[in-house]
Amino acid sequence: MIINVENLKKTFKSYERGNTLREAVASLFVRKTKLVEAVKGISFSIDKGELVGFLGPNGAGKSTTLKILTGILFPTSGNVDIMGYTPWKDRKKYVARIGAVFGQKSQLLWDIPPLDAFNLNKAIYSIPDSEFNKKLNFMVELLEVQNVVKKPTRLLSLGERMKCEFIMAMLHSPEIVFLDEPTIGLDVIAKEKIREFILEMNKQGITFILTTHDLGDIEQLAKRVIVINHGDLIFDNTIEALRNHLGTKKLVSVSTQNPLPKFDVPGVLVKNKLSDYNAELELDVNTMGLNQFIDYINKNSTINDLTLQELPIEEVIKNLYSI
Amino acid sequence: MIDAVKLHLQGIKSALAVRMAYRADFFISIFIMLLVEALVPLVTYLIYKSGASLPGWNMYEALLIQGVFLLSRGISFPFFFGMVWNTILRVQDGTFDLLLIKPRSVLQMLIVTGFDSEDLGKLLGGIILFSVSLANIPFPGLELWLKFFALFLVSLVVMFGFGLILSGFGIVWIGNYRVYEIFFSIANFGMYPANIFSKGVITFITAVLPVAILGFVPASQLLGRPAEGTLITVVSSFVFLFLSFLFWKAMFRRYNSAGG
Repeated sequence: MIINVENLKKTFKSYERGNTLREAVASLFVRKTKLVEAVKGISFSIDKGELVGFLGPNGAGKSTTLKILTGILFPTSGNVDIMGYTPWKDRKKYVARIGAVFGQKSQLLWDIPPLDAFNLNKAIYSIPDSEFNKKLNFMVELLEVQNVVKKPTRLLSLGERMKCEFIMAMLHSPEIVFLDEPTIGLDVIAKEKIREFILEMNKQGITFILTTHDLGDIEQLAKRVIVINHGDLIFDNTIEALRNHLGTKKLVSVSTQNPLPKFDVPGVLVKNKLSDYNAELELDVNTMGLNQFIDYINKNSTINDLTLQELPIEEVIKNLYSI
Repeated sequence: MIDAVKLHLQGIKSALAVRMAYRADFFISIFIMLLVEALVPLVTYLIYKSGASLPGWNMYEALLIQGVFLLSRGISFPFFFGMVWNTILRVQDGTFDLLLIKPRSVLQMLIVTGFDSEDLGKLLGGIILFSVSLANIPFPGLELWLKFFALFLVSLVVMFGFGLILSGFGIVWIGNYRVYEIFFSIANFGMYPANIFSKGVITFITAVLPVAILGFVPASQLLGRPAEGTLITVVSSFVFLFLSFLFWKAMFRRYNSAGG
C-alpha cells in the first residue's frame, strides 16, 4: 500500500458578508463566521502502480482532499500516510517524490520556452545532468514535442502546453503523480496523446491519482474510481462496479411497425420518445426480463429494430451525485 | 549551500530571460525606475541650492545618506524583496500552491521566483548617487569602510525583515498592494539624518523599528560621524528580523489555499 488515508476531515472557516450595502458595511466591523465541512472523515487506501480516478461534482471536497494529499493544506483531523510520510509534516522530503499537474494552474513560465522552465525545475529538484537529459529526451520523444519545447510558452497551443506541463511534473521521476483535470479544454487528438502518455507511465509503475470531470478520462484510464460528494466518500470500487452501480439497467432503442404500446409497466422507463414508432427506454432486466420485454412489445406491436446498450457512465455518475 | 546558490542563479537567469522577451520594455522600465528614484535626491539638491539645508549636514553628506538608502533598496528589491509581490500575486491567483509542491522552503521559492530585474534601476541609481556623493567628501579610511560594510549588511537584514512582514500580510490580506505604502511611509525615515527628528522619533527609528539603519546609520559611520546608539540599532535590527520571521511563519500557517 502506497497511500493510506484514515478518517480525513477538513473544516474551513468562511465569512458571510451579505449582499446589501448595509450588510457589506456592517461586515467591515463584525463578520458572521460559518464553518464549512469540506471533507467529513473519508478513508481509503491505494496500492503502488494503481491509476485511480477521483470524481465528484464541483464543491464536493475532492480538490481539498487532493490538496491535503499533496501537502498543500493541513487537515482538521485524520491520518494520511503516503510512502511513509505525513504530507503536511514532512512536506519537503515528501514532495520530492511526487509530481502534480494542475490543468488550470501552469508551472511553465509564460514568456520563455518550456525548456527554460524545465531547467529551473532541474535546479529545484537538484536533478543530475545525465538523468535530466535522459528523462527529458525520453518524454519529449514520447509526447512528440521536440520543436515545441524551444518556443515561448505563450505561442504554444493548449495541447502542446499541457504536454509540457506533464514533462515539467515528471522530470524528477516521481513515484506518485496527482493530476487535477489534466485534459480540460483539450481537443480529441491532444486528449488521446495525453492519455497514452499517462498509460505508458503507469505501465512503468508510477501511481496516478486523477481528478477530472471528463468521464472519457475515467473510462479510458482508471481501473478504480473513488467518488466524493458533500465531503463524504460515496463510492470506491472498480470501473466495472461503477458501471453496474445502477443494477441491471440497460439502454434500449426500439422501433416498431405499429405505434409503440404504453410503457406503464414496472422495470421500463421512457427516456426519450422520438415518435410513436421510435423510443429510447431504460430497462431494468431484473424487474422485467428481456424476453418478457420483447413479448410485451410484440403483443401490442411488431419490432422492426432493437438495440441494447449498457447505461452510459454519465447516468451512473449523475445518479451518484444526486445522492 | 552550493545547491541553494545554483537555484538562485537559475531563478535570476529565468527571470532575466522573461524580461528580455520584451527588451524595449525591460530597458524603459529600468530607466523609469532610475528617474523615479532620482526624485528625492533632486529635491535635496534643490533645497540646498535654494540656500536651505538639513541642519548639521552639507549637501553631499545628505546625498550620501540617500545614496546608501537607495543602494540598500537597490540590492534588496531585485534580489529578495520580490517575495512581497510574488506572494500577493500567487495567493490571489492560486499559484502559491505550486510553490508548496516543490521540495524547497516556501520562502526560498518565493525569493527565487520573485527576482525583479526592473528594480536593478534602483541599484544603478544608488551606485551613481553614492559615487557622486563620495567624490565630494573626504575619502574615508579602511576602518570606516569596514564598519560601513558591516552596517550596510545589517541594513539588508532589516530590509529582509520588512520583506517578511509584507509577504506575511500578502498571505492573509488577499491582493492588497497597499502594503508597499505602509513600508515606504515607515522606511523613508531612514534616508534623512536622524537629528532632524524629535527625540521620540529618533528612539523609534533607531531602537524600536530600526529604519535608521537603512541609510542614516551606515552613511554616518562612513562619514566618520557615527550615530548615537549604533549598537542598539544593530541589536534591534536582528530582533526585528527574528520577530518578522515569526510573523511570516504565523501568517503562513493561516494559509488556506485558493478554491479548487
